Amino acid sequence: MSVTSRHKEKKESRMKRKNKKVDTVYYLGVGFMAVLFFIFHTCAFLKGIFFSFTDWKGYGAWNFVGLKNYFYVFKNKDILAAYAFTFKFAFISTIAVNIVSLILACALNAKIRFKNFLKGIYFLPYMLGSLIVGFIFNFIFGNIIPKLGQTIGNESMSVNILGTSHAMWAIVFVTVWAGCAFNTLIYIAGLQSIDTDIYEAAALDGAHGFKRFRLITFPLLAPSFTINMVLSVKGYLMVYDQIMAMTGGGPGNTTTSIAVMIYKQGLGKGQFAVQTANAVILFIVVVAISIFQLRILEKREEKVG
Amino acid sequence: MKKKSVAVLLITVMTSALILPGCAKSDKKEVEFFSSKAENAEIMKTLVDEFNKENAASGVTVVLNTPADAGTVLKTRLAKNDIPDIIAYGGDSTYTELQSAGVLKDLSGADYLNTVQDAYMQMVYDVQKNKEQVPYAVPYAANASGVIYNVDKFNELGLEVPKTWDEFLDVIRKIEDSGETPFEYTFKDTWTLCCAWNSIAPDLAPDTFNDERRKGNTSFAATHQEIAGKYLELMKHAQKDILGTGYDDGNKAFANGEGVMMINGNWVLNQLVTANADVNVDMFAVPASNDTSHNYVTSGIDVLLCESKTSKYPEVADAFMSFMMRKENNQKYIDDQFAFSPIEGVTQSDAKVAGIQKDIESGKVANFPDHYYPSGFDLAEALSEFAMNYVNGEEDSKNIDTFLKELDNQYDAVNIAE
Repeated sequence: MSVTSRHKEKKESRMKRKNKKVDTVYYLGVGFMAVLFFIFHTCAFLKGIFFSFTDWKGYGAWNFVGLKNYFYVFKNKDILAAYAFTFKFAFISTIAVNIVSLILACALNAKIRFKNFLKGIYFLPYMLGSLIVGFIFNFIFGNIIPKLGQTIGNESMSVNILGTSHAMWAIVFVTVWAGCAFNTLIYIAGLQSIDTDIYEAAALDGAHGFKRFRLITFPLLAPSFTINMVLSVKGYLMVYDQIMAMTGGGPGNTTTSIAVMIYKQGLGKGQFAVQTANAVILFIVVVAISIFQLRILEKREEKVG
Repeated sequence: MKKKSVAVLLITVMTSALILPGCAKSDKKEVEFFSSKAENAEIMKTLVDEFNKENAASGVTVVLNTPADAGTVLKTRLAKNDIPDIIAYGGDSTYTELQSAGVLKDLSGADYLNTVQDAYMQMVYDVQKNKEQVPYAVPYAANASGVIYNVDKFNELGLEVPKTWDEFLDVIRKIEDSGETPFEYTFKDTWTLCCAWNSIAPDLAPDTFNDERRKGNTSFAATHQEIAGKYLELMKHAQKDILGTGYDDGNKAFANGEGVMMINGNWVLNQLVTANADVNVDMFAVPASNDTSHNYVTSGIDVLLCESKTSKYPEVADAFMSFMMRKENNQKYIDDQFAFSPIEGVTQSDAKVAGIQKDIESGKVANFPDHYYPSGFDLAEALSEFAMNYVNGEEDSKNIDTFLKELDNQYDAVNIAE
């Protein structure tokens, strides 16, 4: 195809688009959301980036300080500890959530009794909101489990786990419990889109049980797997609600995630500019990890699809 | 084109929802009274209502606002330059920030200033930037931190209120011998870790510590060994799950007979009475030193009142301040909150604080040391780590060293950043 003809074709298609009049109301609808998004998200975000280069305390006069806040973030031991905790937490939670919800989804997709009722039950935590879930478990860990531990005479169960150096595991447990709802839903949707013919063919070829799962089901779930991995990692890197409801970052700073740190130090302790810089870094980290994951997982989708 | 009209309708509704609340606000005659404490919301409401009744002729009403997490809200409001007309706040570093931002009215010349005790007025000046001697705020209520003890159990065990550290240890030993637990701690809410520190540190730290530390001439490691050691010693005589017990749960347990002592402040009493109306408690200053003249009651400004420079109705705001500072109204507040009054002639006569009332009246008080630490300094977190290391079985001298070094590192980090 010559250059000119290609050019012509482009022009034609553009004209075709022009002739087909699009109702302005669609632009109005989309534009309205775009403006809202720009005002309440993008503007605030850009302003935040701007102030991360200043010594602004959240009010009053300020000066430019260049990259000083960023150096401070990288040098501060507590902030680095928060990053270490957050990565560890996100890694463990993501894997645990996806394993548990995959098992749940496969079980719920099988022909079992009370299937819809059980689906409803498993979806319930998602409706509650993580703050409420956090408060509920705060009570369970603080009052119910220690009493149970004392009754059965179990030493390690008779203290509130949220007050020990194992507090992170309690938070992981609650996060997995609450996070499974959404991930299971996506996996179920993925499972239902798999054609039953494929299973029949697999059965003829002798693939059953775990073999069938490993060779047929799991590869065909690739798109759902991608969504769940990316959303989980993104969500758990920004973990905040559960921690505020259960430990407030303690004991010591053992459960202080980056988001908790930004809130506590930035708004409560007068480090507004430093923590804004921290927030910008967190943003870059989350975006970088998400893009990296998408690249790898999409490549995998292409291979197995 | 039914679809289209629906879409247009939706957009109109959404847009107008954005604009309308902006219009509704404008012409109400209101003066906002911003109060930081949830504990005193009820009595503040009563006082505000009385004022509005008395002042109905002016047509301006005072509206009470007590948001959760008030410090953060106030700082955000400050960022938007939307200062409440009247603010009730604690005498801490957030007040320093507020005052140094230059948004508060100079109260010089107001009649009520003459009725305020000098010691408490000085505490206001002490937390102002560069210790400026201008009354931008007036102290309204003082608090006190120390040991809260179960009087019935003390009587039962034949114990007397200890005056020195040695006597204190003796009391603790006797309680343990009887099979009771000396202390009930509530460290899951990390701020409560600061109470014992605030009670011990003023008795033993060098007088010039805060100024010298700011300049970098001294360190926690060099001066606070004994304080950290005694703090740790007291922690060893508490219930098992100190880090897992929350403030509300611990208070409830203490009010219903668990533990014999608690180290906290007079603000707990309200909660104890709510949990058990028959609770019989009293307070004494933590005797951290064997020299009784050093055993101060830690007392600070729990509530101070200040006015915005830019109030829309300054005369109403002024009138409200005068109303609040009247002796009979201050007395109502003091009685309701088990607090102490910085106003001369208003006394706290409740038996639950009788043990420290005399010290406060005679001025044997020290301010909370953490009111002088820089605002980014997280004492509670460091103490919580200290406690966790103890629970995990860390050796004492090593634990103390790490803890004091951590305090110094943190202090340097935030001192430079400011």
